Amino acid sequence: MVILAIAALLAGIFYGMLDGANPIISGIASHSDLILILLMISVGISVGTHHGLLQKIREYHVKILLIPAGVIVGSLLGGVVCSLLLRLPLNQGISVASGMGWYSLSGVTISNFAGAELGSIAFLSNLMREIFSFFSIPLIAKYFNAYSCIAPAGATSEDTTLPMMIRYTNEETVVLSVINGIVCSAAVPILISLCYPR
Amino acid sequence: MKIILIMVLGVLIGHWFPERHKKKNELFQIICTTLLIFSMGVMLGSRENFLRDLSSLGVQSLLFCLIPAIFSLLLVYVLSRRYLEKHNKEER
Repeated sequence: MVILAIAALLAGIFYGMLDGANPIISGIASHSDLILILLMISVGISVGTHHGLLQKIREYHVKILLIPAGVIVGSLLGGVVCSLLLRLPLNQGISVASGMGWYSLSGVTISNFAGAELGSIAFLSNLMREIFSFFSIPLIAKYFNAYSCIAPAGATSEDTTLPMMIRYTNEETVVLSVINGIVCSAAVPILISLCYPR
Repeated sequence: MKIILIMVLGVLIGHWFPERHKKKNELFQIICTTLLIFSMGVMLGSRENFLRDLSSLGVQSLLFCLIPAIFSLLLVYVLSRRYLEKHNKEER
């Protein structure tokens, strides 16, 4: 699956650069939200076939929020360290890290707040984070634990990374991953705007 | 919100989903993921300044990718070892 994903990414970039206008391929590429919906239903089916899962998830209670809390605090700390390393203003560095993988949103909002260059950094770094989290899942599952696989994915742990999560962890982690994605996604725009008080 | 509703719909279908089609469902996920990643590539490739940005801002962006991701990873690992794995063992 990893090799397939790399091939798909490279083929996509190549196709995009060609300015090709194959109606079928362009149609697929422009309806990615529809594909995402189908994927979510399919992942839901996998989760649903696993009976007794809901009970297990309920037993986590408030502890379920530990994962998004760890992801958010870790990302913000990472932003502080990056600001110091790259000699950027603290609020700018933290805002980029607050994207937590949501590259489209953070790229656009940070461009508006702090200019095109930082916006591009936000776009690229969060894109890299999504790609990194996708490919790191097998390794993290092996050397850390299933919960940790959710961490790099941040706000994107509710979409593209899910099929990898199902393959390398378990249905329980998938549900925790969706919850983490929802909480982190809600946090991203709030955190970014807090970095630029008017 | 939409995403929760879609997931719930899937879970409901999954509740009555025939076991023998499980493999087909997994294959479907792989196809969808591949198409999604391909679409992401197309979006990148057709972005005007993609390669130029990548060459000039790539290193900084990589740092902004790796450091926050690794901090999140370590923190979640420590928290889950301390609170979540214990929880799971107690249940068993």
